[in-house]
Amino acid sequence: MAHHGLALPTVLVTAVCFLAPLALIFVYSFGTDNLVTLNVDFGWTTSNYTAFAQSLYLDTLLRSVALSLGTTAACGVLGLTLAYFISRQGPRTQRLLLAAVIIPFWTSFIVRTYSWVDVLQNDGPLDNLAHTLGLLGPRAHLDLLYTPFSIGIGIVYSYLPLMILPIYVSLERIDPAIYNAGADLGATPWRQFRRLVLPLARPGLIAGSIIVGVPAMGEYVIPEILGGGKTLMVGNIIANQFQETGNYPLGSALAVVLIVALMIVLFFMRRFQISAEVT
Amino acid sequence: MNIRRHPLSAALSAVVIAFLWLPLVAVIIGSFDRNALLTTFTGATGHWYDQAVHDPNVRSGFETTLIIAVCSMLLSLVVALSGALWWRRAPRRARAIYDALVYARIVVPEVVFATALFFLFLKVHFALGIPAIIVGHAVLNSAYSTLIIQARLIGTDPALEEAAADLGATPWRVFRRVTLATLMPAIIAAGLLAFTFSLDDVVTSYFLQGTAQSPLPIVLLGMIRFRITPEINAVGVFVMVLTVALMSGAVGVLAGAGRVGRGNRSRRRSRLLGLYQG
Repeated sequence: MAHHGLALPTVLVTAVCFLAPLALIFVYSFGTDNLVTLNVDFGWTTSNYTAFAQSLYLDTLLRSVALSLGTTAACGVLGLTLAYFISRQGPRTQRLLLAAVIIPFWTSFIVRTYSWVDVLQNDGPLDNLAHTLGLLGPRAHLDLLYTPFSIGIGIVYSYLPLMILPIYVSLERIDPAIYNAGADLGATPWRQFRRLVLPLARPGLIAGSIIVGVPAMGEYVIPEILGGGKTLMVGNIIANQFQETGNYPLGSALAVVLIVALMIVLFFMRRFQISAEVT
Repeated sequence: MNIRRHPLSAALSAVVIAFLWLPLVAVIIGSFDRNALLTTFTGATGHWYDQAVHDPNVRSGFETTLIIAVCSMLLSLVVALSGALWWRRAPRRARAIYDALVYARIVVPEVVFATALFFLFLKVHFALGIPAIIVGHAVLNSAYSTLIIQARLIGTDPALEEAAADLGATPWRVFRRVTLATLMPAIIAAGLLAFTFSLDDVVTSYFLQGTAQSPLPIVLLGMIRFRITPEINAVGVFVMVLTVALMSGAVGVLAGAGRVGRGNRSRRRSRLLGLYQG
């Protein structure tokens, strides 16, 4: 079958440059670094995995999970608010607002992220505002930058459009008469939100949570810029093992743990997604 | 009260829009700031744009970025187009594996992929540098390109190609005049998407660059580690304008193609939005 030749470029690229490197780090994650020969000895040891018991890695892994969950939740709340509002406007306003959501997303990733350094730094706009309002003493500062909080802000900011768009797609198809019916039948706005908007937005919310939560967990650049060079997330620790420390087996083990963790999350999210489609 | 007219919904939405735009407005204002320290705005100047254009680091970074983006876009398109054409006639189980590999390239964290590929290249003594970055970008971006081309293929009637063959067209002519022609909007959109993703990539480029000239985002990353200057803001605004123009082009092409094709308005719009959902 001549037609199977068409698969060749994809097979080559994915096998050589995607599957092979992942297989390589999987194998290396069971090796040990020999400090004398600078080679890796293969004893099929699990010592790289038990290294997690060290608080540094465990703390970082837990912080990454917390940041991923927290930023996904924040994106969900902000995204649902705006997506619902957009879906209820006229066609022209809808297009304008969607452009307002997408254009920031098209801006250079580096620029989008560092713009928050200006905003969050001591003596920056937020810090000055806190002083003007008298919330802080003259010598005190908010110290927002280079903390998990500033990383969280950076992630929410970068990924928010990815949450807004799928929720908008879910809500946009809904006949507005359904909200009128809810109101006419005497439901309070809160009840209308909980019983109408939230269930209708559910498929979009789940899709958005996958597209935001998964890359957020493995984020590298945002903690690098807004985390002030401290190893605050798993992505940075993995990168450090390969770039600076040169402990390839440990870096490989961390990468494997990250992928397995994400696979578990995706598995449960898929089940959610399927049950949301059924109901 | 009807939730549609609840004032809280509008007020919160305004806050979210402001959240999305304020940092960008700060960057734009900062790019015109006469005060090099960016502490207080003291007046507007175009000086920083001039300085950015003449900065040798920025210039060569931009050139490197363009070379990488064009080459990796072409490679992504070859992989995505041939793969999608195979996928259309492949057996069901082979299709499922293919789809899983496309999906995997999107969900595996970029830092894991980039370090793993860096490690493999190191082991097999494949030189790091611009060719390595091009391949790295193509592995990831071809997955997104595939999704767009697949979406268009699903909506294409295979009877068109059969009809052309029945009317005596050679296979090459069928491919060029029917298959390629119907897929063209998707190919253009997929290409522009791959191009802009490559233009903006940091992680893969960072690990695979070796001692070669860094692409622009890495140059910027190095500059901001030192200090944020109005010049960086000027480069940022320039990249922003370029990306918005390219992406608007991609959306325009897809929207125009949708107008000709079948399908109702809302489905078309959903597909357009699917572009950014990956």
